[in-house]
Amino acid sequence: MAAAKRIGEPVLEVRDITLSFGGVRALLDVSLEIRAREILAIIGPNGAGKTSMLNVINGFYHPQEGTIAYKGRVRQRMRPHEAAEQGIARTFQNVALFRGMTTLDNIMTGRLLKMRRNFLWQTIHWGPALAEELEHRVFAERIIDFLEIESIRRTPVGQLPYGLQKRVELGRALAMEPELLLLDEPMAGMNVEEKEDMSRFILDVNDEFGTTIALIEHDMGVVMDISDRVVVLDYGRKIADGSPDQVRRDTAVIDAYLGVAHEA
Amino acid sequence: MLYREAGQFKSSYGADEAIFPIRQDRWLFAAALIVAYVVVPLIASEYWLLSILIPFLVFSLAAIGLNILTGYAGQVSLGTGGFMAVGAFATYKLATSFPDLNIVVVFILAGLITAMVGVLFGWPSLRIKGFYLAVATLAAQFFLIWMFNKFPWFNNYTPSGVISAPPRAVFGHVFVTGAEANSVDKYLFVLSAVTLLALAAKNLVRGRVGREWMAIRDMDIAAEIIGIRPLKTKLLAFAISSFYCGIAGAMWAFIYTGGVEALAFDIDRSFQILFMIIIGGLGSILGSFLGAAFIVLLPLLLERTPMALGFDVPVNYLSNMQSMIFGALIIFFLIVEPRGLARLWQIGKEKLRMWPFPY
Ligand SMILES: Nc1ncnc2c1ncn2[C@@H]1O[C@H](COP(=O)(O)OP(=O)(O)O)[C@@H](O)[C@H]1O
Ligand SMILES: [Mg+2]
Repeated sequence: MAAAKRIGEPVLEVRDITLSFGGVRALLDVSLEIRAREILAIIGPNGAGKTSMLNVINGFYHPQEGTIAYKGRVRQRMRPHEAAEQGIARTFQNVALFRGMTTLDNIMTGRLLKMRRNFLWQTIHWGPALAEELEHRVFAERIIDFLEIESIRRTPVGQLPYGLQKRVELGRALAMEPELLLLDEPMAGMNVEEKEDMSRFILDVNDEFGTTIALIEHDMGVVMDISDRVVVLDYGRKIADGSPDQVRRDTAVIDAYLGVAHEA
Repeated sequence: MLYREAGQFKSSYGADEAIFPIRQDRWLFAAALIVAYVVVPLIASEYWLLSILIPFLVFSLAAIGLNILTGYAGQVSLGTGGFMAVGAFATYKLATSFPDLNIVVVFILAGLITAMVGVLFGWPSLRIKGFYLAVATLAAQFFLIWMFNKFPWFNNYTPSGVISAPPRAVFGHVFVTGAEANSVDKYLFVLSAVTLLALAAKNLVRGRVGREWMAIRDMDIAAEIIGIRPLKTKLLAFAISSFYCGIAGAMWAFIYTGGVEALAFDIDRSFQILFMIIIGGLGSILGSFLGAAFIVLLPLLLERTPMALGFDVPVNYLSNMQSMIFGALIIFFLIVEPRGLARLWQIGKEKLRMWPFPY
């Protein structure tokens, strides 16, 4: 399935990251890379440091040690909005949508960085300002079609069921046309059918737009199905890194993660 | 069959982007404009123009200003009165220092000065939120009023502390301030300003800038990951909001009352505007007008209804009753319908649109 894909050089290299909160070590000397156009799954038991890793990558957390190189540029700390400017989009474990706004408006917010007309133009909503708005509206509508959420276009997202909210949040991230997409448990709390839809969307995005994706997921079936490579974290350390098949057979992983999962 | 969306197919996103995508709404808006610009000047009495319609329009402007900051950008402010005072005193200083400057230019400059003051006092909003920001704006409110009282330079050293509007014309002999100004001219001038500024605000809040404000309001963490710079976005809200409040204050002092002291813009004024947007609807331009209308008209209604019914109610009773009604309504709207009268209006329209088939 993934054989035909042109996985390229690393776009993001995380080196020797250590992150602690007071006494709690969330990440300990973790290095990993994300390669162009791949789907990387980050797995591990609860509290392993997966979300912290994404937070380090997009600038929410500033690690005490280590560096991050994105597209060849090394940086130690940056703000989340700078990550967005450099083409990194993400979704959250607990949906972080703008609850008072409609689906369409939420997705339109993903286009903010691409809209250039200043507020004076916007006060007239006419001419170039209107043209710009319409251009981005067309893009947002394409995402709405793609995610099959036409019928909830005008619904305030606070009123939507959880599964749909996750989908809208993916839509907002896609509207940014990211080069690197970070998804934190995009299928948590979904039923089988919703998971299948979401898997299909993720594969399609990767396939059609060549978007590099790093995702955190607990459902091992899904992970094995859609990812090109898997990184396993446990107690803040990286314990495995390889193809889904390699990782599945890794004894350390079986002990730390699959073992636990099987017992549960 | 009056109010239907069915059959009006939107041929393009362009049509969908109109302020009033539904035809009946457009008619209603056009009718309101005709009444406001043609019918009212023909039939309204001095009393209605000067004591009800002009203050209603000025209040609406201030409410739009506060709604931009609080309703859309989510930054609670108790400094509205203070910012209105800045607009009023800036207008006074500009108009008296540069008598040849057209009054329109004076109002705009006063708005810009207020915008700068707003940005200054909005700076803490990067670090503090909610209740603490409200306290910070309260401090701004008290500081500004204290400042205008303390330094007589602001009122050109008049012993009474009252700033009174010198006569100024928009063009030719069309005076809108001062004793000579005729009430229809005043009304039309305020109405035009409010129409333009309300349209500008409506356009802002439904475009990129408005979405940035609402994003910051609804979830500032998520706003940052889509590339919004929180400080820049909040300060723009403070600037534009203060611009509106400043012009409202200027019109209050120069056109509505003709002369005020700083006390006209004390903390009570801030609360009054806040009540308007809570009752009218947070995050709604229409709601700003509805809230202003409500607060201007309620005392009138309370005063006249018992009289019309033949009761004789003492005045202090009325003002107590008014406070009680306000209090009850504010609690009602905060708990039950934070989107205020504007939301009720919308619900009413939706019911009408479905009628007579509820599903
Ligand atoms: N902001 C924070 N403050 C304190 N501790 C945190 C914070 N974020 C994460 N942690 C801690 O770091 C560890 C890893 O958490 P997290 O990255 O959320 O794990 P995962 O996503 O793998 O379940 C946990 O022990 C968690 O309590
Ligand atoms: Mg997590």
